[in-house]
Amino acid sequence: MNPKRPVLYQVISMLTMLMMLLSACGGGTATATEAPAPEATSAPTEAPAATSAPTEAPVASETGTLSVLDWAGYDAEDFWVDFKNEYPDVTVNFEIGISDADIYAKMAAGNQADIFHPYTGWLQFYVDEGLVEEIDTSKLSNWDKVPDNFKKIGQINGKQYFLPWDWGFTSVLYRTDKIPEGVDSWSALMDPKYAGHISMWDDGPGAVTVSSYIHGYDETNISADELASIKDEWIKQRDLNLFYWAGEPELVEGMTSGDVWAAYAWQGAYATLLANGVPVAYANPKEGRNSWVGLYGIRKGTENLDLALKFLDAKLGEATGNNVVNLFYYGHSNQDVMNGITDATLKEAFSIDNPDILKTTNFTPNLTAEQRDAWTAMWAEVKAAP
Amino acid sequence: MDRRATFWFLYFPPLLWLGAFFLIPLLLMVAYSFRADMHGSFFQLWQPSLAQYEKLIATGSYWRLLGVSSLMAMVISVTAVILSYPIAYFLAFYGRERAGFYLVLLLVPFWTSYLLRVMAWKIMLGTEGVINSFLIYTHVIQQPLTALLYNRNAVILTLIYVWIPFVTLPILAALQRIDISLFEAAADLGARPIHQFLRITLPLSLPGVFAAFFMVFIPTVGEYVTPLLVGGSRGSMYGNIIQDFFTKAANWPFGSAMSMVMLLGTLIMVGLATRLINLRDFLE
Repeated sequence: MNPKRPVLYQVISMLTMLMMLLSACGGGTATATEAPAPEATSAPTEAPAATSAPTEAPVASETGTLSVLDWAGYDAEDFWVDFKNEYPDVTVNFEIGISDADIYAKMAAGNQADIFHPYTGWLQFYVDEGLVEEIDTSKLSNWDKVPDNFKKIGQINGKQYFLPWDWGFTSVLYRTDKIPEGVDSWSALMDPKYAGHISMWDDGPGAVTVSSYIHGYDETNISADELASIKDEWIKQRDLNLFYWAGEPELVEGMTSGDVWAAYAWQGAYATLLANGVPVAYANPKEGRNSWVGLYGIRKGTENLDLALKFLDAKLGEATGNNVVNLFYYGHSNQDVMNGITDATLKEAFSIDNPDILKTTNFTPNLTAEQRDAWTAMWAEVKAAP
Repeated sequence: MDRRATFWFLYFPPLLWLGAFFLIPLLLMVAYSFRADMHGSFFQLWQPSLAQYEKLIATGSYWRLLGVSSLMAMVISVTAVILSYPIAYFLAFYGRERAGFYLVLLLVPFWTSYLLRVMAWKIMLGTEGVINSFLIYTHVIQQPLTALLYNRNAVILTLIYVWIPFVTLPILAALQRIDISLFEAAADLGARPIHQFLRITLPLSLPGVFAAFFMVFIPTVGEYVTPLLVGGSRGSMYGNIIQDFFTKAANWPFGSAMSMVMLLGTLIMVGLATRLINLRDFLE
């Protein structure tokens, strides 16, 4: 008999428990892959100073605690640097949401965050369910710098419930070496010529948007028949699609390696690939590009309303806006920030020198609760189809 | 302290833990699955509704996917058990004083995160990955094989790899409990090694084998991380759809109903299996 055996047995059971714990932790970290924003590895050249802190000493000595429900990456101090400089004694806690649906579900379930960060499409039901406070824009010193068309996007039922903040395009991003003929339509995402080299965003409303553009459906009024044909279309598309991307880094990796030739993409991925020297172009589809806007809302009934308004005002600040542009390659709602862009890569990414681009761009309309449920279920059935 | 007090003193903390982080969330999910939609606040009372279950029953593709996921879990757990048995056998009977060291070697991969180990398979199987580069370098193929990654096979391969160390442990524990004098007695009675294995080692290790099988099978039916990373467009499992309803659809009632169906399905399968193989005989 080996006398060591009982000891070894105990070691094993302890290790087993430890492993269970470790694997549970491992599973948890997987959600991080769904972060919406890229960790930009190399900033474009000639970028303006990233964190230009105000030189004046802070006047207000506000204290307190604010909690913000935001996307991974936006918790970095770069994206609220103006607030940090002005109110150094306020503690800001961040909680991370992994998608619009996740953030909405958390707020609906009674999350106590003072501020949350939804995107266009996911606004209406916050108002319908009484989860969002109307914003008193007279208390925002930077509000004048926000163009009217952006302000309008944050208005529901005629009231300013949301503060527009970051924005960008969605279009077809493609490898110019693999698709030398170029892409002029959203239907490139369904082109059998590119079988096995297409990547679609893992999102039902996104798929409905693309199909609506291609077939000229009214996105705000999709009939049951139209939704059924959209489902069939994407089930067919699945055989051409390599993988559905959940976060931009995943897409950037696929396009860099050359596995993905054409993809549904935000311009953050485009700018990252351009900066890395990957031969890519961002299509101007004949159906028009899509554009989305990220907005901040204040939870109805928060005890920190004043502080939350100060936080939102500082979110519009120039140093914060410059960081959004230079670190994540997204647009910012402060027009002064956008006017100050000089970098050629960024100008290209935002199509700043193309005066017609916004005229032919389709902004994401707001979903109703019924559309949200129907479109997400449609997408789940696409993924589950035989 | 009398025995009763000691009992509760020892059992209360784990009971509290299980209750707070397993039982209550599970009951909330049961409750949520009978909600008609997400309308209304979390603690608001609602009219119980079977709408989610009706929708689920009507959608054939979800049932089919549950079947596919169970089949995949079966393939993965059987393969992992078969591959792990020799490892456990070696550790138990030939490891000697080095057994602890070998065991640590086996468990070394767990010092990195689960995600990293799955990503490593992406690097192995990708078009510019280790396998393709080697085959192109040796002129076996000219164009990289695209069939290695982004499909169900990649999911199965990766999960088998991930589970092998886990599976080895209960088998090893069972093998170590075997009284070595049984082998001496068998040898004295003229049994050859192969008979010793088939008549003594294998039957006595079966409780560990079944424990290992269920340890893999049950969580694998609901697996979602690995298919997300290496499964591609056609590699989704039932767990991915549940996850989507929670994180991409903000439809907790339907996601809860899907979870309940999976939970019941898995319990039934495990119940049938234990009845068929009469696990109690082995455990006693």
